[in-house]
Amino acid sequence: MAVLAPVSGSAAPVPRKKRLGRVLSERRTRFGLLNAAPVVVYLLILFVYPIFSTLMLSLKAENGGFTLHWYADAFRGANLEILLTTLRISAETSLLALVVGFALASAISRLKPLWAGLAMLVVVVPHFISALVRTYGWIILLGDNGVVNNLLTALHFPGAPFQLLYNEIGVVIGTTAVMLPYTVLLLYAVMKGIDRRLLAAAAGMGAGRITIFRRVYVPLVAPGLVNAGVLSFILCLGYYLTPALMGGEKQTMVASLIDEQVMKQNQWNGASALGIILLLLTFAGLLLLRLLKSAGEALRKRGEAS
Amino acid sequence: MPETDVIPEPALDSAASVTGTGKPVSVTRLRKTYGGVTAVDEVSMEIAAGEFVTFLGSSGSGKTTTLMMIAGFCEPDAGSIVVGGRDVTRLAPQKRGLGFVFQQYLLFPHMTVWDNVAFPLQLRGVSKAEQRRRVGETLEMAGLSAMARRRPRELSGGQQQRVALCRALVYRPPVILMDEPLGALDKKLRDQLQTEIKRIQRELGLTVIYVTHDQEEALVLSDRIAVMRDGRIDQFDTPQELFERPRTPFVADFLGAANFLPGRLEKQTADHTVVRLDTGGLVTARPQAAADGTRVRAAVQPGRLVLCPPGDGFCTGTVETVTYVGTLVRVTVRPVQGADTELVRLELPAGRAPALGERVGLTADPANVSVFPDVLPDAEQGG
Repeated sequence: MAVLAPVSGSAAPVPRKKRLGRVLSERRTRFGLLNAAPVVVYLLILFVYPIFSTLMLSLKAENGGFTLHWYADAFRGANLEILLTTLRISAETSLLALVVGFALASAISRLKPLWAGLAMLVVVVPHFISALVRTYGWIILLGDNGVVNNLLTALHFPGAPFQLLYNEIGVVIGTTAVMLPYTVLLLYAVMKGIDRRLLAAAAGMGAGRITIFRRVYVPLVAPGLVNAGVLSFILCLGYYLTPALMGGEKQTMVASLIDEQVMKQNQWNGASALGIILLLLTFAGLLLLRLLKSAGEALRKRGEAS
Repeated sequence: MPETDVIPEPALDSAASVTGTGKPVSVTRLRKTYGGVTAVDEVSMEIAAGEFVTFLGSSGSGKTTTLMMIAGFCEPDAGSIVVGGRDVTRLAPQKRGLGFVFQQYLLFPHMTVWDNVAFPLQLRGVSKAEQRRRVGETLEMAGLSAMARRRPRELSGGQQQRVALCRALVYRPPVILMDEPLGALDKKLRDQLQTEIKRIQRELGLTVIYVTHDQEEALVLSDRIAVMRDGRIDQFDTPQELFERPRTPFVADFLGAANFLPGRLEKQTADHTVVRLDTGGLVTARPQAAADGTRVRAAVQPGRLVLCPPGDGFCTGTVETVTYVGTLVRVTVRPVQGADTELVRLELPAGRAPALGERVGLTADPANVSVFPDVLPDAEQGG
């Protein structure tokens, strides 16, 4: 029970010692604690403990003492470059996934329910296929003698064949395809919720298509855009398979670096530090989400003032 | 703000509100079918500048479809629409420069009240200072100045509809179309907003086309009412004409819940028609072109019936119910002759109520009795 006390503490408003005691003595509270126990134990064993031990590992020097050496290492030379590459590719991916996802979701949201369901299936089903298979699929499509290049060459497209694999284009195409179902699903849900009569109302007042899109549609979809963008960015940060298979030397991402450190160099401390950095970046992404939302609020407030 | 789609702003000065900004609307033989069902059938009407016209009808009468075609949200199969001398039949809604108020308000949820009202002005490239002045003025007029910074969802239904009204008024469109704008509000609020809409319309000299299924609302607001049924206009007239000289049984029933007394046309003169009722009495009515001896119905509004001593009027009966409704009393009378005839409904001033079971005679001014060929009015099931 002692372990569980903090949980009830967070539920009680301003838990002073006396009040906490009273709350704990209530039958409802005790019953609630009993119910929460399995989840708490589950989280402690499978989430809190591993993250905590990874953190400890990342702070442990080779002689067993405390050190920030592994973090310093992560932000130095080739490692720093890999970190920046990861951020860049994640940003490119989330941007592309947003643009393509927006177009797809907005098209699907205008279809009749039956067709919308089918289109949604086409978008989501690839997600259930093994990522490895999908990635090899892309490799077949994008290779020097792949379907895309053969088609472009046959059409005498200037510059064809293109190098579409083992470079950043390949990685971003691959990761975007992975993130797309998320952005489409998130944006579709938001777009479906928009009252299309609002757009008609704007048209009635004299707004043209571009204005309606810019002043009414996009602002109404904006919360979904922010969510989808940050989600695909975060998911991409730790993504391993596609960049490893479709990228070149220059597209090594943090996940690959961790893999190399653990599997080839048996360097657990450095890998732990990188893992913690990824985790912090994820938190930073979520923080960014919050900031963007409140910034949007503030922007609107300022708009009102003028 | 430079916009790609700037609408020509009508030259506007302070005098505009005095002279009136409304423009005439002319609709010619408008038709619309949905999958074989004719929603609007050859509707034609001329609406004068500054006129308040209501399309009145039950659901499915084609009133909203007609409005949507004038708005441009729905393309007619045939016919033409001319606003202020300009043919707008094939024009996109944003090019027509009209104003709208919808039943569901349709305010932009991501904008404040102020921004909602300023939006149409921004589209027209109105300067910031002018925007501030006009939005401020309009909100002031609607008593919404204190709400300017709020979001639509923070307002009550009545306030939201007022904002929608402001948004339609602020750019002084020559014609404002309203689709049951008060349908979602409670009675008291509806009465209050009706008064406001009417006042603003008069002050600005706006042309308003209003859609409703509420005959009382139509009577209160309109200069003229188009009573619609099955995609056609039954009658397009002033409230008084509709009420006193309904041209079809449907209009008589829909507007005044008229009594229809079956009978046979007995005699016609230049000034009136005489009908022998099935209950035995003779009733004198307005002239009606029909052959002597044909089956007809004499229609008379409950409020136009007058009590008289038994045997004097066109009908004698016993009082079955007496219901007080404020200053009025509703009375039903069962005619003595003709056991299967319907009850006759009356509305009398509260002081003149007869006693239950009393034998009374009924009479009416011939000018208030209309005669129709004997076809069942369709509205009897629902209107």
